[in-house]
Amino acid sequence: MFKLAIKSVRHNPKRLLLTAAAVALGVMLLATTQTLTAGLSSGFSGLFSDIYGGADVIVEEQPSDDDNAQDFTSGDMAFQADDVTAVAGVDGVADAAGGVQVDSAAILAVDADLTDPLAQFGPPTQLFNWTGEPAFDRATLEEGSAPSADDEVVMDFESAANLGYAIGDTVPVLSATGATNFTLVGTVRFGDDNNLQGATLAYITEDAAHTMVGEDGYQTIAVKLADGANADAVVDGINQVLPDGTRAITGEDKAAEQAAEFDSALQYIDIFTLAFAFIALFVGSYIIVNTFRIIVTQRTREFGLLRAIGMSGRQVTTMILLEALVVAIVASTLGILTGWLLAVGLGALLELVSGPIFGPLVVPWTAVLWSYVLGTLVTLVSALAPAVHAARISPMEALREAGTQQRKPLKVRNIAGAALTLLGILGITAGLATTVDRPYIWVGAGAAVIITGVTLLSAQVLVPLAYALRGLLTKMFGIDGKLAANNIHREPRRSGNTAAALMIGVLLLALVATFTESVKSVVAQQLGGTDAALFLVSADGSKISPDAIAAAESVDGVAFASQLGIGAVQYDGADYSVAYFEPETVDQSFTYNSDPAFSQINGGVYIDPTVEELGVKVGDTVTLVTDEGSFDLTVDGEYLNKGDANFWVDWSTAEQMFGEEAGADQVLVVYDDGITADEDQARFDEVNDTVTAALAEYPTVLAFPPGLLQQVANQGIDFILGAITALLAAAILVAILGVMNTLLLSVTERTREIGLLRAVGLRRNEVWRMITLESVVMSLFGAIAGMVLGVSIGVAVVWSLGEFGFSTPTVPWIWLAVYAVGAFVAGIVAAIWPAWRASRMNVLEAIAADG
Amino acid sequence: MTTTPVAAAVAASMDNGYKDYGMGEMAVRALDGVSVQMARGEFTAIMGPSGSGKSTLLHTLAGLDRLTAGKSTIANVTITELSEAQVTEIRRNHIGFIFQAFNLIPSLTAKENITLPLDIAGTKVDPAWFDEIIGILGLGDRLTHLPAELSGGQQQRVAVARALVARPEIIFADEPSGNLDSKSGAELLGFMRRAVKEFGQTIVMVTHDPTAASYADRILFLEDGKIVDEMREPTAERVFDRMKQMGN
Repeated sequence: MFKLAIKSVRHNPKRLLLTAAAVALGVMLLATTQTLTAGLSSGFSGLFSDIYGGADVIVEEQPSDDDNAQDFTSGDMAFQADDVTAVAGVDGVADAAGGVQVDSAAILAVDADLTDPLAQFGPPTQLFNWTGEPAFDRATLEEGSAPSADDEVVMDFESAANLGYAIGDTVPVLSATGATNFTLVGTVRFGDDNNLQGATLAYITEDAAHTMVGEDGYQTIAVKLADGANADAVVDGINQVLPDGTRAITGEDKAAEQAAEFDSALQYIDIFTLAFAFIALFVGSYIIVNTFRIIVTQRTREFGLLRAIGMSGRQVTTMILLEALVVAIVASTLGILTGWLLAVGLGALLELVSGPIFGPLVVPWTAVLWSYVLGTLVTLVSALAPAVHAARISPMEALREAGTQQRKPLKVRNIAGAALTLLGILGITAGLATTVDRPYIWVGAGAAVIITGVTLLSAQVLVPLAYALRGLLTKMFGIDGKLAANNIHREPRRSGNTAAALMIGVLLLALVATFTESVKSVVAQQLGGTDAALFLVSADGSKISPDAIAAAESVDGVAFASQLGIGAVQYDGADYSVAYFEPETVDQSFTYNSDPAFSQINGGVYIDPTVEELGVKVGDTVTLVTDEGSFDLTVDGEYLNKGDANFWVDWSTAEQMFGEEAGADQVLVVYDDGITADEDQARFDEVNDTVTAALAEYPTVLAFPPGLLQQVANQGIDFILGAITALLAAAILVAILGVMNTLLLSVTERTREIGLLRAVGLRRNEVWRMITLESVVMSLFGAIAGMVLGVSIGVAVVWSLGEFGFSTPTVPWIWLAVYAVGAFVAGIVAAIWPAWRASRMNVLEAIAADG
Repeated sequence: MTTTPVAAAVAASMDNGYKDYGMGEMAVRALDGVSVQMARGEFTAIMGPSGSGKSTLLHTLAGLDRLTAGKSTIANVTITELSEAQVTEIRRNHIGFIFQAFNLIPSLTAKENITLPLDIAGTKVDPAWFDEIIGILGLGDRLTHLPAELSGGQQQRVAVARALVARPEIIFADEPSGNLDSKSGAELLGFMRRAVKEFGQTIVMVTHDPTAASYADRILFLEDGKIVDEMREPTAERVFDRMKQMGN
């Protein structure tokens, strides 16, 4: 039986070609992304073992659980000189040295424009003290000399070359406290191959580092073991002498810990991309169903004959499923191979920009497993219905003249589709119109159900709609337009599936575009609600230095600077975010969605909808816990947007709650009345320039005009849209293959008909146009249905997220136009191969074909 | 370029036509120096045993297939010199076809199938002529039906109507009654004969059935790619006798 299946696949591989391509594309997406994340994982695990593997034991601050993986910032000065001495005295320790890392340091390219806030984004700079011990520094001198004076710096040789510095050059090193000039005295090599994933690595003397940090002490202690000492025993010994809240760990364990942390972040990417691979395969399943259905129809006589000579119906089903299995295995293998090649290509391309960040790019075995399982499952499930249908072919069919096939009515399909669509609409309505908790869950579930329902209905809805164009197409294109409409109408199930496959792809595109465009309008609206001329933000997530704020505030023309800080608190045993503001200026700088206005705060706290859902009301007293103690605060009001901060307090309360840690994360600089771009452009520009110049000393403070901030935010949003679109491209491509597949199979089926048309005088280009029209109409209808649904669902989702501050859904007209044009072009392109075959058909052979 | 035929006494002709299939040793000569003329307003039947080349002769005359050597004309236009696109043009404007089976586009109604050649050429239907044909062929109440809803005889009559509606220079028919029972077949051939007699339509028909051939004005006998005989005013019996000789 398996032999028969393989023979059948080999006998006519063409008709399964595009089906296999559809499966392979989905699998390819999966293999590519998983290979890249695996390569990234091994690349970074190499980096971590370069960083930590050199030191036998690392002594550091105890990592806290809620630390949001700030891998590139270094934390507090947990150790003093006597701790280093104590560690050095532990049995089995040969040598120990304190490590200082200068937070938020930056070395920019020689020609970087310091006034451009965007120039400072990029891979981080890591600035440490130089010990001279390679095991501690994790780097060796490559050229020149080590830093010995307090104004000397060394950096890794690749960054020196990339940024444009040579030994002897003056290098400005920026930090939160300002810029300091150093002389480059040497270059170093990190680990064995300077594998820094794009970051810049630099060292200065310990004293210089302490000066820059503004504090003595060490964040870490690196330890070298005596020969023959047992690392675990030494770790235990060191832990005895360490202050509270710190720990010793072997370098190997630390590297493994970091790698595991990084991998768990990558896992989300894997799940995310797996979802898109699944979407592509789901879209592909429509093609598979179509192909097998058509194949079964074409082979009715063959199956009838097999039944006549004694094959059971079940054996026919098994044979078709075996064929599907063969296709699935071949396609999955092909997908894994091409996916791997694509990953290698993309990896090389990315590394051109980012420098080496990938480890060896191999397809992880989990990806291989997923590929085969998903590829096979999707193919078999899709082929099941046609295979079962084939079992019902009676032996009599072998004798019957081919041609008229009785069609299964669409009734069951329609009822199921209508029921699901209705259910989905009810779900969305329930989510939007009633006051259920978390309306977005209702809307999301409703959307998923609607998509399934509409897919089933497509044969009933899309096809008659397309057929309604018959008159118009006939008028515009004559007989070939009429025939194109007829052909779509003839096999409603097939055309419906084909259009639905594209519909799903475009639906997701339109949904994402609607959502991201709405986010953009939220951003625009929020930034429109500010009177501030400049936003100060930190380049690296550290607090904004008060000196910088004072410098900005002292500029003539600046009315005031309103600070906003963010911190973390514990409430009722769980972690929450708290934002704090200056009540005197807060409402003059920004329109916050609060009740009453923030300036009305009375030493208490405002709560957001999340906290309200816990049952807290205005007038209640809440107890917030921080490192400084526990604070009982009266709830003075509500902050009405969800997702910003859970609690809002005034600045003086925050100073009690966070002590020295309190500081501004964002500062809104408001100018004197009358100094706006509209009213006094020259004066406005002058103040802008003065503030920017005053802040040049504080390179980690970035000054954004609201417009630029909006532009940056929009760029981020566009990037997300672009990334999702790229991931959806596989699904769209599969859908276009589906159009091509349907047309090819139907051209084969219509061989005699096309031959006849040619015989009575239809020109080749008219045949071509007929197939193209069919393709374009199916593509456009799929795309338009997808856009209508996608935008509708997107709008519903945006409405359901009202409590997060989303108010007005924005219809992404430009994107919709792009998708429509794209669908039109895709229709023309998808028709090329089928139309070429149809128009090149030998008229005589076509007429004589066995139909 | 002269693709516009002028009225001529000869509707179609072939001069020393050769047609080979395959190459080298495997080559089969289907037509071996055929010269023939089809006069206007005449009903010609081409007969011969299987493999005699009768279908090839029809296809090459109709421009569906190309001669290996020699020339053929449709209304004085030498189609062997024309490009594929130009031949298509000749077919759409000057030739009608009736095949043995699958004459109709399944998704078009009988009426749409009949007017197909006019729709393709983008010309208007002459309603009087259309009604006359429909009347003669008895298709009046079948016009809105799809081919699947018509009997075999009705389907072939629709095909005849389609071939006639554009008043082509010549109609080529390939075993038009081959799939019909004898009564429907006789009806169909009767209609074709009337078209020749009453409207002066030129028809060339390939058949292996002596009864069908006897409806023609003239019969050409083909054997091994050559015209071996010609018969005028045939009767079924005479044709049958002639065919028996060829079998020997």
